[in-house]
Amino acid sequence: MAEDIRSLSAELARDPSSLAYIQLCEVLRRKGHVQEALNVALHGLGRHPDHANGYDALARVHTDRGELAEARAAWERALAIAPEHIGALKGLGFLFWRQGDVRKAIDTLEHALAADPADDQTRRALAMVKGEPPPVAAAPARPSSEEPPVRPSGRLTLEQVPQLRATAERPTPPADAPEPAPGTPVVPAPAPAPSAPSPAEVRPAVFAGFEGATADILLLDARGLVLAGGLRASDGADVSELAAAALAGVSGEAERTADYVRLGAWTAIVAEAERANLVLAPVEGGAMLMLRREKSTPVGLAIRITERARVTAQRWLEGQTL
Amino acid sequence: MSDRLLRALDRLSRVRGVRGSMYVAAEDGLAVAQLLMEDVNGRALAAFAASMARKVSGAAAATGAGRVRFVQMQAAQGVLLVAIGSRDVLVAVLADPGVNVGLARLEMMRAAELALT
Repeated sequence: MAEDIRSLSAELARDPSSLAYIQLCEVLRRKGHVQEALNVALHGLGRHPDHANGYDALARVHTDRGELAEARAAWERALAIAPEHIGALKGLGFLFWRQGDVRKAIDTLEHALAADPADDQTRRALAMVKGEPPPVAAAPARPSSEEPPVRPSGRLTLEQVPQLRATAERPTPPADAPEPAPGTPVVPAPAPAPSAPSPAEVRPAVFAGFEGATADILLLDARGLVLAGGLRASDGADVSELAAAALAGVSGEAERTADYVRLGAWTAIVAEAERANLVLAPVEGGAMLMLRREKSTPVGLAIRITERARVTAQRWLEGQTL
Repeated sequence: MSDRLLRALDRLSRVRGVRGSMYVAAEDGLAVAQLLMEDVNGRALAAFAASMARKVSGAAAATGAGRVRFVQMQAAQGVLLVAIGSRDVLVAVLADPGVNVGLARLEMMRAAELALT
């Protein structure tokens, strides 16, 4: 990934008007250098003020920074330029869902689906937001040239899981793509898939030693961003970011409500679902731990495991701030 | 309808340790019917119950855990229980730490079913 940054930076230095700024922005963002990613996006958009993909990239950076109003504005700008921009529609759908505005999320995702009816990923995301079971995979696979684009990182396989966050993060265009004529909507284009590690592979191994360390335990911050661990769906797809986004703000709300109703500090939230139980526990600074266990695991045991993982996460976080 | 709901809440209030119970509209977090002790902030309880139900349901859906039916928040001085009977209405209970969660859960699921009929 460092090599990607170097080569993309070099390319931009050689040709400041290159569209490689989008890829560089994305690589920096995934690496956690969100300020640098922001600078790159703003610089690129300074040269390409009508580049919808640029606003899409900018919106994702704002999302990672917790600047949801700015993210929304950037996606809306992308849609003003290219009204059927799939990345922007999915991004806005994700944003509305994250903010609890289910109705707008549904409207926006339906718009995205209308723009690309063959997009199973959007269909699944829409079903999830509506609270419906995931639809059976759509019909015949498209020709390889029309396959839904894969993110440069190979981050998520989009055909299988309701991966709304991933749907929002459509691929960056090739760096050498020609600049569109003024006024021409810029639509997402598939990008090459370099062999960068997935986010789950590069996250800190905080929960090593715990069963499901990278598949059933997730540490997230108050804004719904993943800090460590990981969650995988039954088909192996990484659903960490989607789950984290869904839980954004729960810790703070729980704390405030516990205060209002005089319950004292909250220690755990247990959600019993059809196929698994989820246990949430507060960690310092509004962070939160989530553990998933099969229904066969007694709730009391799941809570104990969560407490051990919480202590581990707490120590790790303290180490990060030293 | 309202009488039936209140009767269901009354049954819930008989479970030892329960301080209050309420039906909450899942979408907007407003109380539909409630039976609370005087010092319980019902508005905050309802709003949080709906928000928490929505968020954990989203996380559960994302992870393939399926539909969430019951949520309990444990705290130092009590527990908050939420039964999700349908997409429209939740049953929320505030109780002491020593409450028999199993019994409360049973009554709550019954109350949630009642809201569907």
